[in-house]
Amino acid sequence: MAMAVARNITTDDALNNWFQGRWADCAQTEKRQAAFRRFSEVGLPHRRVEGWRWSDFSGALRNFAPAANDQRYDAIYEPSLFAALKPIEITFVNGRIELPKTPLPKGLKLAVNASTTAAYDMVHGLGDNGLISLNAAVSNEALELIVETGSKIDRPILVRHICSGTVPIFVQTIVRAGVNSTAKIIETFEGGGTFYSHSSILEIAARCRIDRLVLQDMDETSVIHNLCAGVLDTKSKFLQTALSTGSKLGRQETILHYNGNEIETELRSAALLSGNRHADFTSRIVHNAEACITRQIHKAAARDKGKAIFQGKFHVSRGAQKTDADMQANALLLSETAEANHKPELEIYADDVECAHGSTAGALDDDALFYLRQRGLSEASARGFLIKAFLAETIDTLDDISRSVFETHINDWLTATIDGE
Amino acid sequence: MLKIDNLQVSIEDTDILRGLTLEVPAGEVHAIMGPNGSGKSTLSHTIAGREEYEVHSGSVTLDGENILELEPDERAAKGVFLSFQNPMEIPGVATMNFIRTALNSQRKVRGEAEVSAAEFLKIIREKSKLVGLSDEKLKRPFNVGFSGGEKKRMEMLQMAIFEPRFCIMDETDSGLDIDALKMVGDVVNALRGPESGFLVITHYQRLLEHIRPDRVHVLAGGRIVKSGGPELAERLEESGYDQFIEAA
Repeated sequence: MAMAVARNITTDDALNNWFQGRWADCAQTEKRQAAFRRFSEVGLPHRRVEGWRWSDFSGALRNFAPAANDQRYDAIYEPSLFAALKPIEITFVNGRIELPKTPLPKGLKLAVNASTTAAYDMVHGLGDNGLISLNAAVSNEALELIVETGSKIDRPILVRHICSGTVPIFVQTIVRAGVNSTAKIIETFEGGGTFYSHSSILEIAARCRIDRLVLQDMDETSVIHNLCAGVLDTKSKFLQTALSTGSKLGRQETILHYNGNEIETELRSAALLSGNRHADFTSRIVHNAEACITRQIHKAAARDKGKAIFQGKFHVSRGAQKTDADMQANALLLSETAEANHKPELEIYADDVECAHGSTAGALDDDALFYLRQRGLSEASARGFLIKAFLAETIDTLDDISRSVFETHINDWLTATIDGE
Repeated sequence: MLKIDNLQVSIEDTDILRGLTLEVPAGEVHAIMGPNGSGKSTLSHTIAGREEYEVHSGSVTLDGENILELEPDERAAKGVFLSFQNPMEIPGVATMNFIRTALNSQRKVRGEAEVSAAEFLKIIREKSKLVGLSDEKLKRPFNVGFSGGEKKRMEMLQMAIFEPRFCIMDETDSGLDIDALKMVGDVVNALRGPESGFLVITHYQRLLEHIRPDRVHVLAGGRIVKSGGPELAERLEESGYDQFIEAA
């Protein structure tokens, strides 16, 4: 039986009807019913909800009329720039998962399963995240990616999300990395599409190392929410680097729970925004164990009416002694109308910890600009040098090919920025 | 070569240069000495094209061309080089990539062929030995973690690589030890020639022992108040600037 969608979900009847129709078509397990009920209560996030005040999904999707069920899986897409890494490539083409046809390396297993409410189960109660509830309720398929105990996967695993059309897409990924395993996972979000929702779960066992790269390069009309909710165990390492060129509204959200001692995490992210593009990087790192290290750095460069959002929270539980956590967010505002909103937070209940956060926003340094120009660089070239220098810290630990892919996006953005001035 | 005529410059509504006139003929080294606040750095930044300095009147010509109309990078391509008093650190800028890009930008404007990566590597290795900077320093982001003296060596490295026609050295000697002073002298003397000129701004006579100037000028109150030969620097070392401050 289809559950009525509360009127407060959106202000738009067409979207309400679409959600309701989609829900009616879903396999309605008890857990999914609970998730949809939760979504019906809270609706799409809007600016009056703390944590979403700068990322109004309800407003962004107003007047959005989803197409009838004409979801197309034949999108044409170029080879990935990451192809030089010879990755194991998995594609989500408008939500349909295509696994590689070639044999997988030993220790790696891939499967397409029914969606789960795992992300919803993990984050439910942490906030009124209607998007996660909605994804848990109406997503159809989930990619399951298993790295077996002790396995070192030498080739990167590339997960491409190809988006087009006006049908909202809801997809999931479940990553399970066994004890003492190693893997690099690259996620790209490409193309257009109107509304894309991806929830992923990471289960990282003891002494495991996972490198995660995220690249969002989508049309300026797209609305996207990409959640990564992870649970980490003792002495594991998680290194995440993300770059977004923004979209109409885009949120890259990372929620990590440290459930073992001596975990090390690095989170690096960059946003490059022009026009009316928006990029929101939100994270919540829950330190539940001792002697864990977290390093987080976020950089955003915005021009025109670009809007950069950073919301980072370190939660340090009572027993998480010797936590060493540092969070830095810096914004470079390249025009008077560009905007950066930062909300760094520390919530500390342990008494023997080192935690710090910093936040800056400003323009290019006039002294540095003059120095470079005095050496012969044109104004455009000097500005480009300084913008790249500003962003360098977010990508300088990547392997050469991955760094070169990220640099290509930065250079393309700079070229468009300089040409647009 | 460089002619400055009745130059009047202010910054943030404060008059700094008040009708400065000076000529440095090709092939000569001129030293400018003067008390703090006399306008020495304003003069160097104005010649180099810093836009915060507002030029109210006067002219600065290089080989007859008024360079005040040119952008800073256009002046650099014409051969104007400023060795900064306080060179900055620029994290994230790869040193060798920056210097090569700058060199080739200048060359491109002048219609000269670009220097290849291999040629550049040869040049920078040779010149870095001359100024005493190790390979490790060149691999760092620009000036990051450098001491004051090392930053001055980096200025001299760029000067040696760009081979500019007209060099302004803004208190390059400050913070340098005796060996480094000699290095600066070596770089300048190697670049000296009938087609190049130097304006050496300093507080002390000690640098001038390594770079023998053709003329010495005293800048006080925004004007040149006294000019003479190298012996003027020696006299200033003994008597100080008081008499000139009063005269200004």
